[in-house]
Amino acid sequence: MTAFTRRGFLAATAVGAAGLSGCTTSGSESSDPPADDDSGTGPPASPAGSEAADGAPTRTDAPASDPTEALPTAGGALPLPMTPAALRAEARSGGPSKDGIPSIDDPSFVAADRVDFLEGGDPVFGVARGDTAKAYPQNILVHHEICNDTVDGTPVAVTYCPLTGTVQGFERGDTTFGVSGRLINNNLVMYDRATETWWPQILATSIPGPWNEDPPTVSLREFRLVWTTWEEWRHEHPGTEVLSTDTGHVRNYGRDPYGSYNPREGYYRDGTTLYPRLATDDSHHPKTVFVGARTPEGAVAFEKRAVTDAGTMDGRLGDTPVLAVADPRYTTAYVYLNPEARSFEYEDGRLRGDGERFAPDDLPLRRVRAFDAMWFAWRGYYPDTEVYA
Amino acid sequence: MPETTTGRDTPLARLRRSVDRTRTAARLPFKRRDAAAVFAGVTVGYLLVYLFALGHLAPGLGRVGVTVVADPVGTLLRPALGPLSFTPVARATLGPVTYLFSFNTVIGLGVAGLVGLNLSLSYLAWTQPTSCGIGGSSTGALAALPALLSGSACCGPVVLVAVGIQASSALLTAVQLLLPAAVVLLLGSLVFVGRQVDPAAV
Repeated sequence: MTAFTRRGFLAATAVGAAGLSGCTTSGSESSDPPADDDSGTGPPASPAGSEAADGAPTRTDAPASDPTEALPTAGGALPLPMTPAALRAEARSGGPSKDGIPSIDDPSFVAADRVDFLEGGDPVFGVARGDTAKAYPQNILVHHEICNDTVDGTPVAVTYCPLTGTVQGFERGDTTFGVSGRLINNNLVMYDRATETWWPQILATSIPGPWNEDPPTVSLREFRLVWTTWEEWRHEHPGTEVLSTDTGHVRNYGRDPYGSYNPREGYYRDGTTLYPRLATDDSHHPKTVFVGARTPEGAVAFEKRAVTDAGTMDGRLGDTPVLAVADPRYTTAYVYLNPEARSFEYEDGRLRGDGERFAPDDLPLRRVRAFDAMWFAWRGYYPDTEVYA
Repeated sequence: MPETTTGRDTPLARLRRSVDRTRTAARLPFKRRDAAAVFAGVTVGYLLVYLFALGHLAPGLGRVGVTVVADPVGTLLRPALGPLSFTPVARATLGPVTYLFSFNTVIGLGVAGLVGLNLSLSYLAWTQPTSCGIGGSSTGALAALPALLSGSACCGPVVLVAVGIQASSALLTAVQLLLPAAVVLLLGSLVFVGRQVDPAAV
């Protein structure tokens, strides 16, 4: 991309597990839950299975059709609301063709003090690993939905679906992800460019599609991105890098075609969805934000505002007690497995339990991956979810 | 008065005569300064509304500058958000306003020109029908209606956000057809007006 500004001519960069047989549904026999790195501030995710533990398998020159050979996948497949074939039948065109919404494949970053395109309350999606802290502004990703990047040496895809309000990170190995142009339950369907397999974002699990008719049902290795505000992220990570508007594409990053989060307006606030939902449950406003977690054992969702107001909330995920914990630094929440039903109390932004004090993202419990999602989206994909509000 | 058809008229001859008369009619607005002003004003105004509906002319990040993608020619016809929607290849920002140039600007300019022609002919028919050699039943204004709607045709389902309608397959198809339908209607309107041109009065 070449830029001409009143400051002169600037040259810029060019744009650039185990396969499971059959369907894995919510009622299927479970294996170990996927990795529990969930903070957005911890080390890279590690899979429950050991198959991909050493990183991405080597990609061959011949087009691959088995995503387990081309992508780091998790040891156990996550639950699906219906068979993979039935999910495929629910896919519909969102208007754009394949890659009509272009992913960012050669991202560039700017230092925090050079950011002039964000207000303090604007949403950013943050991840901190090792010495690296990166923020991906929502107002950029709403135009691209996927950013193929490298974080702390690990090739990753940062993905955002504006219609379901979900941001999720995936390890991508040597390949990249693109936007298929299809939606299921209003949710982004990604595809990987090595095997062209469809991956519904929230489900993070492969399903058949027109470009790969019979992939094994496997789940991607995920990592947590924190949905927070620019003000909060910058306060905690003053040395953060921020995804630049120099994306290799020209878009109006000052305009969100769906509405606004700062303040919340348009699609993000109203009670309608653009496309049919997999389920309609009016017990909550469709756009209410829940913090959802799912493992092969089941799914659980906590209303985000309820958690951040209460500090902690108890619940169950399958047969296991869980604890949702708010983190006021980022106005977010985490979900921990709490099989012994240990209790923690908030005290000056930290949690006290067993005579010790812990940061909200560092409780001595196993954390399960959780992320923000609009109610309708979570409920549609996880009809048997436990719900706490 | 329009010419009457004779028994020797063939469809091809009638088509040729209609095209000739349409070309004659299309030149009429440029023979009078006020009609030319109507054409220019409507064309520019419609193009601005079209680009706004498309989101290619909107408030932006408040900078000043021009940015062009690496391969603008090769990218110009790359599909974007839906049928007849093309990816922007250049961005111009001037303070609060950001303009995105894509092939949709070319399409918009063509549609805007048709709207301008129709409305300027309607203006002539309304003000000086006899001296201009056209009858009083120009339909340019009516034909402009779907053209105005077509400005949002390229936005695909995004435009439905504003009106809170869930996108069904039928509705999406209808939206996709708005732009070509508008062009057909506008061309039809021009031909209709052209058939009423009295060559002797021009």
